[in-house]
Amino acid sequence: MTPILVAQIVLLLFVFFMLLNSAAIMVYVERKVAALLQQRMGPTLVGPRGLLQPLADVIKLMFKEELRPKAADAFLFTLAPIISVTAAFAAFAVVPFGAETTFFGLLPHPISLQVADVNVAVLVIFAVASMGVYGIVLAGWSSNSKYSLLGGLRSSAQMISYELSYGLALGAVLLLGNSMSLTDLVNAQAGAWFGILPRWYIFLQPVGFAIFFIAGIAETNRAPFDFPEAEQELVAGYHTEYSSMRFSMFFMAEYINMVTVSAVATDLFLGGWHGPWLPLSLGWIWFLAKVGFLLFFYVWMRWTLPRYRYDQLMDFGWKVLLPIAVINLLATAAGVLYFAA
Amino acid sequence: MLPDQILFYVLGALAVGASLLVIGQKNPIHSVLWLIASFAGLSGLYILLDAPFVAVIQIIIYAGAIMVLFLFVVMLLNAGHEDTGEDEARPVSVHRSAIRFGALLSGVLVVELVWALVSAGTLGGVFGSTATLPPAVSSVRTIGRALFTDYAFAFEVTSILILVAMVGAVVLARREATHPAQATDTGARLPGPAEPALRVEVGDEQAERVF
Repeated sequence: MTPILVAQIVLLLFVFFMLLNSAAIMVYVERKVAALLQQRMGPTLVGPRGLLQPLADVIKLMFKEELRPKAADAFLFTLAPIISVTAAFAAFAVVPFGAETTFFGLLPHPISLQVADVNVAVLVIFAVASMGVYGIVLAGWSSNSKYSLLGGLRSSAQMISYELSYGLALGAVLLLGNSMSLTDLVNAQAGAWFGILPRWYIFLQPVGFAIFFIAGIAETNRAPFDFPEAEQELVAGYHTEYSSMRFSMFFMAEYINMVTVSAVATDLFLGGWHGPWLPLSLGWIWFLAKVGFLLFFYVWMRWTLPRYRYDQLMDFGWKVLLPIAVINLLATAAGVLYFAA
Repeated sequence: MLPDQILFYVLGALAVGASLLVIGQKNPIHSVLWLIASFAGLSGLYILLDAPFVAVIQIIIYAGAIMVLFLFVVMLLNAGHEDTGEDEARPVSVHRSAIRFGALLSGVLVVELVWALVSAGTLGGVFGSTATLPPAVSSVRTIGRALFTDYAFAFEVTSILILVAMVGAVVLARREATHPAQATDTGARLPGPAEPALRVEVGDEQAERVF
């Protein structure tokens, strides 16, 4: 095996391991931040400062009984959580998280810190995200329960509605960077304007960033857009009938999707691993910091904003977000043409 | 055999087999899922043809957006299984003419396919390498340029066709909505895929059926 191949496999395992852990870390962060915002203590008993709480949660989930309704479609009922979690992991495969490196000279030529460098990476993320919908929709349908079905229906409608704005916001960045490779797009954001302001696309595309992040929250079914599982109306929505590890797969997929959306937003709008003070080889620290901030923002939003009403969600998606996204894309295209000429 | 050829046969078998299974299912949801599998096979074939862009677009548009819409409609209409009873009640003559028309269409399709395969054989072979394609066929720039220059007419006509279909759907939906019972509720809403009034109704229907 060539050193490059070994490095790729190590990277793959590393990303897999980190994503698994990120779900555990996010569970802890979510509970702690929620407690902070509600003036509670949060988990404190398991381990120092409650740090081992995620482990306890996992053990509890594993020892729960795995239930399946009698009238459920057995095959699809099992398949749905697998689709969800697979799509969540697969999307991160094309996300770069650091500058090109030779690992202290171990490799003959530098490779970029990502699992697969695809030249249509942005579209691959989009495609995998659209596959993830099936996990939720099928879970809702195969459970053969009215709450699950309503959750699944809501999720498919919501995803279709917000995917458009999501894609159009991406399109504006692609126009600016003139590439579909995430590595190229990140490298286009190196340096600073006037020596102070980093050349991040968020400063050129503030509207685009807002649209992307709002649509991202809707795509990951997080509050205030968590209609597929709206507890007060639908018990638990699409995963009402799920328990034990099957349930935890959905749970994990949700957190990993959050990490992916945050990582993509970091790469597209926040300059990825570029930032002041640190050398490029330590750029992954910047990347982690930015993703961490966005994830905190996610949790912050959830515990600050109440859930929308369903028709408000649809009205907002189709009548507000989509027109703004279209105008943003057209304005960006005009701007690019003007400054290129 | 070359790995490329093995992959071609595996993906081709997936695409064809899944397509056959689509029409063999009793449950429309399963049909939709097999169709997605078939699209996945096609997408793999596009990658073999060195066209990753088309492959990803295939997944996004067909396997992603359109099939989610299909699934949505099937779930919304709650088409649990095939309505065979209604078919049997219809007069046989309708069946026969429909079958004749279908047979005619499939005959035309077979002729077209044979013609395409034969002419492709003279051009460079179906399994021929991608050498006959321009090297940059995968690039988004090339596809975009071709779409807006050489194929501009076809592109625009297709767009207008889709627009007409969309306007038609809106008109039909609006006409239904002007029934006195629903006029106030759904008349003012955009024809988004989810209409709260409709959804609740269908939800109840589902509940009745299931329990």
